[in-house]
Amino acid sequence: MIKLLHVIAISALVGSAGYAYSIKYETLYHAAQVAKMKARVQRERDAIAVLRAEWQHLNRPDRLQAAVDRHLDMQPLGVQQIARFSDLPNRPPREDGIGRKLEALGVLEPTATPKDSGTESRTPSTQTPKR
Amino acid sequence: MIPVTDDPKPFAGTQKAGPLALLRELFRLRVDKSTARVGLVTLCFAGLFLIIGGRLVALAVMSNQGSETHRATASEISAARPDIVDRNGEVLATDVKTVSVFAEPRNIIDKDEAVELLTAVLPDLDARELRDKLGTKKGFVWVKREITPRQQAEVHRLGIPGVGFLPENKRVYPNGPAAAHVLGFANIDNVGIAGIEKYIDGQGLQDLNGAGFNLSAADLKPVQLSLDLRVQHMLREELEKGMTKFKAKAVAGTILDVNTGEVIALVSLPDFDPNNPVDALEKDRMNRVNVGVFEMGSTFKALTTAMALDSGKFTVNSSLDARSGLRYGKFTIGDYHATHRVLTVPEVFIHSSNIGTAKMALGIGVEGHKAFLKKVGQLDRLRTELPESAEPLVPPRWGELNTITIAFGHGIAVAPLQAAMAVCALVNGGNLITPTFLKRSEPEAQSLATRVIKPETSEAMRYVMRLNAANPAGSASAAAIAGYFVGGKTGTAEKVVNGRYSKNKNLTTFTAIMPADKPKYMLLTIMDEPQALPETHGFATAGWNAGPVTGNIIERVGPILGVPPRFEKPQDPFPLMTRLGAWGTR
Repeated sequence: MIKLLHVIAISALVGSAGYAYSIKYETLYHAAQVAKMKARVQRERDAIAVLRAEWQHLNRPDRLQAAVDRHLDMQPLGVQQIARFSDLPNRPPREDGIGRKLEALGVLEPTATPKDSGTESRTPSTQTPKR
Repeated sequence: MIPVTDDPKPFAGTQKAGPLALLRELFRLRVDKSTARVGLVTLCFAGLFLIIGGRLVALAVMSNQGSETHRATASEISAARPDIVDRNGEVLATDVKTVSVFAEPRNIIDKDEAVELLTAVLPDLDARELRDKLGTKKGFVWVKREITPRQQAEVHRLGIPGVGFLPENKRVYPNGPAAAHVLGFANIDNVGIAGIEKYIDGQGLQDLNGAGFNLSAADLKPVQLSLDLRVQHMLREELEKGMTKFKAKAVAGTILDVNTGEVIALVSLPDFDPNNPVDALEKDRMNRVNVGVFEMGSTFKALTTAMALDSGKFTVNSSLDARSGLRYGKFTIGDYHATHRVLTVPEVFIHSSNIGTAKMALGIGVEGHKAFLKKVGQLDRLRTELPESAEPLVPPRWGELNTITIAFGHGIAVAPLQAAMAVCALVNGGNLITPTFLKRSEPEAQSLATRVIKPETSEAMRYVMRLNAANPAGSASAAAIAGYFVGGKTGTAEKVVNGRYSKNKNLTTFTAIMPADKPKYMLLTIMDEPQALPETHGFATAGWNAGPVTGNIIERVGPILGVPPRFEKPQDPFPLMTRLGAWGTR
């Protein structure tokens, strides 16, 4: 009985030692990973900073101006070309040429379909009455 | 025999039984000696814990100090600086990472060979200087700062022991010279030398770095300026065109928000590229808006007129006799555009009558004139965020003659920004706001403002400035771009050459406000020695050069500044002036 207890205690000891070691090395591994990640993030950040500087350098106004002058035949914005929303005319009544013609022809009028003598519908409709 | 418990004479026993008994004696539980033993054990443990504790403290204090080189370089490498962005968030200055080569002379075995190899890869290094550097006993020297990745690879391939690389921050200004004078620049150690860069350092950045805080760019908030990069570019381009056209020695211009005091754009030509600031310190390239002091000429008449109206001694309907020159001692003050009649105050302003303006100033008196100019900040050095500033040149003994000439802008030299600040105060309702290069809101600016003139006087000033642009007799019509309701004042000051006013060397200025009924922006243009052209009919006064240039600027920046053009006349823009029946309202 006592021997069995000893064996259990020793194996538990060995097991916990092994577990502790594994935890320790895992921690070291993860710490290394974190450090690597941090370095990578920093590298990315630096790269982004360089790209932002480059973007701004390529988009600097005098370069854009030179490019526009060379490649586009646009004019500088004139005072007369600016309008405010209040300057816009009101939206005209909807012009529907075809619709008006149809109206003149009387096609839009409800078509008088044969009705059931009994069920007089209150509103004229083009629907076929239900039977 | 082994002595058994409680032997009253232990020494007798040990003597008898030899080493084993001695050992046993040592571990024997004895009540009489136990206190001393426990004390000994306590001492041992206390010592142990002290050692462990000390080691922990040592580890905590010295943590993260990887190598000796790392420590040596922490103070050497260029520190990070915050980005500088314009009011819309466009990058004006930022840090990029570059690599620099360093050497540890103590660890280099063959110094001559190292010098030879390094100079072969980096040909622009001075071999002798490098040899001297490596010959020292120092732990750390720079070989070359800011090398290219290709050079880095080549140096790396040499494999010289004791030579290594360090990443550093390099300041870049992606927009080139666009905002050079405001930004200033930083040196190779990323320390601000001029402009806003120096201001940022003054705000405590260098102190932090000096204290050993190694700041990274992520810790620093970008500094947002009041500048608008697009406006800045347009202003610069239009001024450049004007400078070429009129063959001026220098031009400068600035655009201010009259209600917040923000500097929207500031250009002084010739300028420099902050990426390559070798020629920035040439005298010719100084910031004329901040650092130069000039006699502003007739633009100063706006101040005199405002002073006269605000004092209550004059009204818009007061008349001033300009039939003949104003005599003072042996001097006679005449008019450039002489009218030879009695003028009202608005007429004095639009005809730019020296006589009339001088009479207004004399009506106020020397002390009153001085006090007013002091109040609107013309007699003291104007301090903004930019470290560069200039003291105005004020006559040491200020007599009546000085008041006469200062009334029309001669005899006092102020920084143009200072004059612009005063004009802003005259038109924005009477609040003097110190210009700023940092973005700020209107309530913030209003809390810093001081009232210098009455709102009614401010309306009168807006009225006369508008009249000057709208009336055919006025001198500012060249800048009166339709739709923006521009008001303005020209100024032509003769330059002092060898102590006398020169007849053909002018400094022309133009101040404009837009829109005049409720000003939002104020523009100032200065041209140094513009030449007369055939199309200006031989004139070189402000109305012929600074005026049209300002007109071009307004036309271009108006849409960007968000001032909606109006082609119908505003409804009664100056109600008080109409009620008083001022000259020109009928």
